[in-house]
Amino acid sequence: MHRQTHSPPSALAPTIQPLVAEEARSTAQTKPSGPLIAASLSVLFAIFTLMVTHHLSRLTPELERAIFAFGAWIPWAHGEGPGGNIGSYGGKETLALWVWAASWVSFHLAWRRLDFDLRRWLWCFTAALALLTLGFFHPLADPIVLVLARWFGVIG
Amino acid sequence: MQRVVWLQIGFILSVLVGGEGLLLFFPSPYQIKAAVHGLSSVLAIATSTYLVHRIYPVLRGAKAAWSALPNWLIAAVATNLAAAISGNWIYMRYRGEGGPRAWILANAPGFHNVLMEFKEFISLFPCFLLTVAVFCAYYYGEQVMRRRELSQFFVALILAAWIFALIGWMSGLTLAKLRFV
Repeated sequence: MHRQTHSPPSALAPTIQPLVAEEARSTAQTKPSGPLIAASLSVLFAIFTLMVTHHLSRLTPELERAIFAFGAWIPWAHGEGPGGNIGSYGGKETLALWVWAASWVSFHLAWRRLDFDLRRWLWCFTAALALLTLGFFHPLADPIVLVLARWFGVIG
Repeated sequence: MQRVVWLQIGFILSVLVGGEGLLLFFPSPYQIKAAVHGLSSVLAIATSTYLVHRIYPVLRGAKAAWSALPNWLIAAVATNLAAAISGNWIYMRYRGEGGPRAWILANAPGFHNVLMEFKEFISLFPCFLLTVAVFCAYYYGEQVMRRRELSQFFVALILAAWIFALIGWMSGLTLAKLRFV
């Protein structure tokens, strides 16, 4: 039920004024969307790094050793016998973390005052995330990886 | 929240946690790794799922829903990170001599070549996505409630994290049923 007020319209004027002022203040405090786009784009870069390093590590033993080297600082990367090791997986994670941190910091510094259209970015972000997810699905990704690897001369 | 809802949550959580706790008594030399990964994954799923329940009012702009949300987000990041780290820990044995990978490659190679290769990366996504959601919650604060485009992006991050956590959880269960460590 709406509460009815019977006061004349002029009595409302003083209450309307502060509301308008408050709204103007909150609009002024609105933070730009740049930092959120920087944070979410850096995640896409990190996932992209995971994907690329993963496919590279499967192409040749030299590439796998190179990616392993980045994760050699993790004790779990080493180990033999039944206990096993995480192998080059640690290298992929390390590289992804570095790319994540570096791209987040640089995009944040570059875009912290810029305002982008978040609605449009939501669609781009979701589509890119879905595409990157499919990139980890071997039956779909492997044929493309093999074509690209031959094209770049990584494999014969 | 109603008492009966808390009772239901408590019952389901105790079944899940108790079930994973039983792994401690599983006849395998890797029972502690298995139990730690199982428990942290159950908690990651529980916190992410609860988070998804809490974000619906956020999308509708209910102010009261905001109060404890950043804390729940941090809890979800922590549990998902714990699940990822313990996942790395048990992955050693997965790849080890006579471990599940060797058995699966010999008997059902598709489960390693497709499912495990997919799962080991997908399971890392919730940590990334929820960290961005935490950043969003602290950087923009209650503006997330007021600005429609911001709340939509925030909710999309959490929903995506939850979906990836669920895919990781289901594939992990499948692999553990197929061949235990």
